[in-house]
Amino acid sequence: MSVTAPTLADLTARTGLAVLDHLEREAEVPVIDGLQAQGDLLVVPLHLVADDVTLSEGPGPHWTPVPAEGLELLRSAAGGNPHTLVADPGTCRWTRGVHDRFGLALGVLATTAPAYLLHPEHGGSGLAPGTYAVRRQREAALRHAWRDDRARWSPGESRLVAD
Amino acid sequence: MTGRRGAESPDPESLSLLRRAVAIRDEWLAHGLSTDPADRPAAEAAISALYRIVDRPPPRFVWVDSPGSALYPGSPLHRAESTLAYLKAPEPSDGADPPVHDRLADLWSTMRSRLDRAVAPCLRPPLRAQRPPATLPAVPPERALRDGVWAGAVIDVTVRHSLTVSLCDAVRAPLFTEFATCSPRPLAAAWYGQHDAYRVGHYDAWHRLGLASFPAWAREVLDLWAATVRSCGWWWPGEGVCVVAERTAALHSEPMPDAVHGEVRLHRDGGPAVLFRDGWGAHVLNGTRVPAWVIGAPTPERISAEANVEVRRAAIERIGWDAYIGAAGLALVATAPDPGNPGSELRLYDMPESPVVVPGARTRPGPPGRVLVVVNGSPERDGTRRRYGLPVPGSLDDPVDAAGWTYGLSGATYARLARRT
Repeated sequence: MSVTAPTLADLTARTGLAVLDHLEREAEVPVIDGLQAQGDLLVVPLHLVADDVTLSEGPGPHWTPVPAEGLELLRSAAGGNPHTLVADPGTCRWTRGVHDRFGLALGVLATTAPAYLLHPEHGGSGLAPGTYAVRRQREAALRHAWRDDRARWSPGESRLVAD
Repeated sequence: MTGRRGAESPDPESLSLLRRAVAIRDEWLAHGLSTDPADRPAAEAAISALYRIVDRPPPRFVWVDSPGSALYPGSPLHRAESTLAYLKAPEPSDGADPPVHDRLADLWSTMRSRLDRAVAPCLRPPLRAQRPPATLPAVPPERALRDGVWAGAVIDVTVRHSLTVSLCDAVRAPLFTEFATCSPRPLAAAWYGQHDAYRVGHYDAWHRLGLASFPAWAREVLDLWAATVRSCGWWWPGEGVCVVAERTAALHSEPMPDAVHGEVRLHRDGGPAVLFRDGWGAHVLNGTRVPAWVIGAPTPERISAEANVEVRRAAIERIGWDAYIGAAGLALVATAPDPGNPGSELRLYDMPESPVVVPGARTRPGPPGRVLVVVNGSPERDGTRRRYGLPVPGSLDDPVDAAGWTYGLSGATYARLARRT
């Protein structure tokens, strides 16, 4: 993709992925090397979570090159609205072969050129070259302490947020 | 059938088996979710044949519009109850002729053990194959094959496990609960027609894929149960009379979040997610069975009086967290600017305890939870930004720590968030 930051309209034109038309389409999508959140997903530079997120050992993680049409990382609860990773072919790769102490990481991406995460409702996030973990969001879950129909908020357990 | 560890792609034979298995699973799922009227002749023929196998003459059939028909005085099922011997005498006395429902249960278990014996070799790991991970149901099946899991284990998960999750857990269970909340007593000794698809579909798959060959007798009995799955709803076999319910008349489902084997759950916003022809049914929001008021008229008062936290949460989301927090007077713990989301605030509230005291409870309540109210980074169509609540542990006092916790980060790391959309 071009050196100057593309707009959301540019990204949807190049990838064929649609975003909702009320989002600001002509603003540039900033390319950032830090922490970014897109709805219930978080993109975090791997070094910031190196104590908690590690790549699989043994023969090494199975890396998937991000193809021209993009790679769906996660779909929303209703089955639509995916978070899609897009990049110029040959510049970005992705693996789900990771271990996360909190079980929140979907995987790790490594990119040598700007890569973009697109979502129909949340628009685009631009990722500067680097290595990032992509994590899901969690919330405290219920503990069924006494009987199934007497659940209460529990401090100890969590479940993944599905928006 | 054994994939090699580290192979780049699954072998074509395993992949083709998987695709055919998925097609067979979807057939059975469709029977389980079918809203067609019952095929009464087919159901009666299959049930009559099952009666004959257990040495009983074909019964007289009484059709009802829903399992809920059992609940209304004067309903066909209610009137027929006196003929359903097991409802009155669940334990046959010694030496007595077992009632027909016991005989059918025996028939089922004999058939099942023969089928299981024939299927067992498919489920046994091949030599040198590694055991599949416990998380296999969450692994996309093509990837599991590529990672070296043998085809039998993958097919078992993608057919039997998937159908069990969708039909037993996600469809039959909420109907059971609905049934139990209004039924004077359990009428559990039933067969479930279309909702038995999860007990039949996987045997059919092994057979049709040519991976298991069944003794002729077991195959014949399986075919009869399969015919009930394809033709009717719940049924109660009694002496001389069998009560059979219609299939569901309307059913609204959605894919289960993160499902990789086609699992579904019930969901409908505007009315009952499952409806039978007589109006009986169940309200379900994103898989959670809720009382009708949650959809029809949720109010803060009703929410505060609700004991089940999942129901409470579903109701709160319908009136909105802002409205609920205001009306219920939740105590504000702290606020902080939302990093990466200029102009928005993170607000941390105490959640009230469940109002219900359970007599004789052995577990002591822990600290109450808190709820973090956050603002979406992207606008809705009308330009507003949606606010929503995320339950967080009660030990968190700082809104930024709480927001970080939701992503497994410390507050200090989360504070570095550059952009939220």
